[in-house]
Amino acid sequence: MLKSKVILVALAASLAVPQVLAGSTPEEDRKETVAYFRQKFPDVPLKEFVNGQYALDEDRRSQWESLQDFPPYEFAVAEGQEMFETPFANGKSYASCFENGGIGIRQNYPNFDTEKKEVITLELAINRCRETNGEKPLKYKKGDIASISAYMASTSKGKAFDIKVPDEPAALAAYQDGKEFYYSRRGQLNFSCAGCHVQNPGNWIRADLLSPTLGQPANFPVHRSKWGELGTLHRRFAGCNNNVRAEPLPAQSEEYRNLEYFLTYMSNGLPVVGPTTRP
Amino acid sequence: MIKKSSLIIATSFGLLVSLGAYAGPKEDFQQVYSEAESTNQNAGTFKWTVTSDRLKAARSAADSGDYGKAKTMATEARNLAQESVAQRKQQAEVWRNVAIGN
Repeated sequence: MLKSKVILVALAASLAVPQVLAGSTPEEDRKETVAYFRQKFPDVPLKEFVNGQYALDEDRRSQWESLQDFPPYEFAVAEGQEMFETPFANGKSYASCFENGGIGIRQNYPNFDTEKKEVITLELAINRCRETNGEKPLKYKKGDIASISAYMASTSKGKAFDIKVPDEPAALAAYQDGKEFYYSRRGQLNFSCAGCHVQNPGNWIRADLLSPTLGQPANFPVHRSKWGELGTLHRRFAGCNNNVRAEPLPAQSEEYRNLEYFLTYMSNGLPVVGPTTRP
Repeated sequence: MIKKSSLIIATSFGLLVSLGAYAGPKEDFQQVYSEAESTNQNAGTFKWTVTSDRLKAARSAADSGDYGKAKTMATEARNLAQESVAQRKQQAEVWRNVAIGN
């Protein structure tokens, strides 16, 4: 009797262990995520998800389309272009730091640096370029960094995100770390990113209409009416964390870069639409 | 008639007792504040803004000498920090239950 019980327990454990250890690949996650949102919003064309709440609400969309006649971020993008094209004190420019001179490359960020074993976002790359060329780094949430990033994004408008997660432990760990962040509840209000954007997109939270996970990073840097200016994705991460009473992390911290890595991978195949506007 | 020496002894004793009583609240506050700070550190990336607010309020009250209020704020901070640590530990186990692709 005891022997059969032991055998049964061992059998159950052997069946449970593979489930615990087995994880899905980033591509499997992405496909399941796309399938989930297509089922949730069957009338929304796949590429429209990059427009977030405007893909889900006709009234809001018409207001947003009116705003695009005179986009409020145009001046910032023009300033960003000027800064991008102005040489550093040493004579070099941003173009020297990026493939294709930094034009039409937004869709490849963030990427994983297999030598340094870290995620490189576009904003981080911009500042690393500045520091390499003897310039002071810019602050990460708004201002010049957002303008330069917005200009670079504008040169990629319409191009499909093509984020790569190399099949090597550090890259996969960074991706998983970002995924865990997205699905973990935090803050005194005990919200996770997924609680709003996976489980409740299309619903209202106070006066905000929740956007779906799919396509979320595609519109950054974004001009938010609330901010009255352009802001980066990490500014939004910090704001959302603060809203649920979770201590925001520093912009471009390892955790936020990994989060951006996961989130942007989920939008692979969807077009870059940033910069654009949001409430 | 009270002897002068007895009066001196009694007065000195009274001063010592009152000094001991004065040192108590500050030490109490410092102990609770230290516990709150270390517990908050243990929350890692799951720290709460309300915990930080209470710690700041505790420090501010202590700096102005109101150790009663300082201890109250520090106690609240410690309790909130404990909750955030519990949240971190729980989420490490359960996040997969709601994740797409697990």
